[in-house]
Amino acid sequence: MIFKVIGKRASLLTVSALIAASGLASCTTNHVANGKISVVAAESEYGDVASQIGGYFVSVYSIENNPNVNPHTFEVSPQVAAQVGNAQVVIENGVGYDNFMTMLESSSPNSSRLQVNAQKLLGLPDNTPNPHLWYDPNTMIKVSNALVADFSKLQPNHTNYFKSNDAMFMNSLQIWIKRLAGFKNSYPDTRVASTEPVANYFLSAAGIVNMTPYSLQANVMNGVDPSPQDVALQDNLITKHEVKILIYNQQVTDPLTSSFVSLAKKNGVPVVGFYETMPTPGFTYQSWMEAELNALINAVSKNISTYHL
Amino acid sequence: MAQLGSVFVIAGFFSSYPVRVALVAGLMVAVVSGTVGTFTIIRGQSFAGHSLADIGAAGGSAAYLVNIPAIYGFIGINLVAGLVLEFIGIGRLRGRDLATGIVLSAALGLTALFLYLDTIASTTTNVTASLLFGSILTIQGSSIPIILAVGAIAIAIVMVLYRPLVLSSISKELALAKGIPETKIAIGFLVALALNVSLTAITVGAILSTALLVGPAAIALKLTRRTGRAILIASAIGVIVTWIGIYLSYDSYYWPPHNHGWPASFFVVAIIFALFVTVDTIVRMRRKYLVGKRPAKG
Repeated sequence: MIFKVIGKRASLLTVSALIAASGLASCTTNHVANGKISVVAAESEYGDVASQIGGYFVSVYSIENNPNVNPHTFEVSPQVAAQVGNAQVVIENGVGYDNFMTMLESSSPNSSRLQVNAQKLLGLPDNTPNPHLWYDPNTMIKVSNALVADFSKLQPNHTNYFKSNDAMFMNSLQIWIKRLAGFKNSYPDTRVASTEPVANYFLSAAGIVNMTPYSLQANVMNGVDPSPQDVALQDNLITKHEVKILIYNQQVTDPLTSSFVSLAKKNGVPVVGFYETMPTPGFTYQSWMEAELNALINAVSKNISTYHL
Repeated sequence: MAQLGSVFVIAGFFSSYPVRVALVAGLMVAVVSGTVGTFTIIRGQSFAGHSLADIGAAGGSAAYLVNIPAIYGFIGINLVAGLVLEFIGIGRLRGRDLATGIVLSAALGLTALFLYLDTIASTTTNVTASLLFGSILTIQGSSIPIILAVGAIAIAIVMVLYRPLVLSSISKELALAKGIPETKIAIGFLVALALNVSLTAITVGAILSTALLVGPAAIALKLTRRTGRAILIASAIGVIVTWIGIYLSYDSYYWPPHNHGWPASFFVVAIIFALFVTVDTIVRMRRKYLVGKRPAKG
């Protein structure tokens, strides 16, 4: 029903208004609308994969879906709490990136609710420094497998449908993964600087070396001032052309990160923007990943910047 | 070997661009605070000064929403708030703290709203901490001209108003008798105060602003009664303390936990506090000693 929203704030408002109007928020039992499995994903990239696997038989709502806000500073609203309370399947990243999910799930306990957690699927410890797991090529392979299992549990007679969607998804994902290996061969040991750790799993899969001190990246992510030593190192990487590209997190910005971008511009170092949630519109998870890869290739081979996708 | 290490650190210190920007900004802010802060104490407006800085946080957080440098937000709202406070009657002793407190909490409420909106409508990181506790080492070089200009205006206002300001600060009645336009002087000073707290807010943060505004001046006024001399001493203390704070923040990168510098604001405020306590103790002990030696005259 109305939950089929991977969308904008306007639709979020519609959804919440409708929930309020229909008194749906007070309904605590599993809600199966039109025979569709209700899925809530913490971030839109996981929601997109769920839509691709579940197709006609799921309605997906993604909580963090606005590429113009910073997910690290997200605050939960009552509408979101109601969504999570009613979900049959929840998908979350883990590693502290979306702790609000854990809180919402425990505040409306439901033993039949199925949980897909990327951190658990990858077997990563809680103190993993970089939480941006969806940029790791292994992540969505495991997530889509888990989704096939969960969806099949809820709707056993559609198992083959889910499996064939998964096969299609895997085929297109493999194109990206092969191209990552191709990048590694064509441009070995490409050095880059970054403003934040968002793209690091993607970068290492492409054989790219991030020269920026991790303490600077982590400080920007956590919203504290990086030390002047790290800032000076970063400035040097750019002005002395020790890096080919500046990786810029479009969704975690402050005057300091903007100063790195203008410095790169001034020194002719191309900039590539990366995202925390799906850039809008019209991307699937895999086409987004390929678009980022294309941007990196343009930067390293033609010196072209891609600020926004 | 340890000496060699510290020489190396100092060499890196002065060649670091963020440090140089911070030293210049810190110099200007300390001198303005020494000048305006001394009058703030003499006029008994420390609480108003503190309130203006906190009120400024509403402007600073709004600035992030419209994507302009925080300093413009601070200056804008502080000028408005300064005039509102004067209108409420900051000169009047009775009820002024109450009025100031109410304006202050209304502004902090706005800050809470704007900080929330920042999280749902913008990609900013680090807003809350840098707004409330300052980030002198991440001030952008491009902000230096505006900092110098704002500081120069504040100092110029105090210099132009100097004589009548001294008189009206020490005795309102005498100033009135001499035909000094008390209201105009008061408004002029509030503008200087508003500009000053905007500068202290971006260096040590809105909440810690008071420390830099009244701390060095309070120490100076313990050492001398002369306004001019107090301004010079307060400015000197402010500059030295701010620079030491920046140095220690830089050096703390090499302290545990490794590779994470401690905030400069912490050092600045801690040194001012220690200095105040020390000077206060010495002055008290000296007075006791003098009193013991030469019993009260007349």
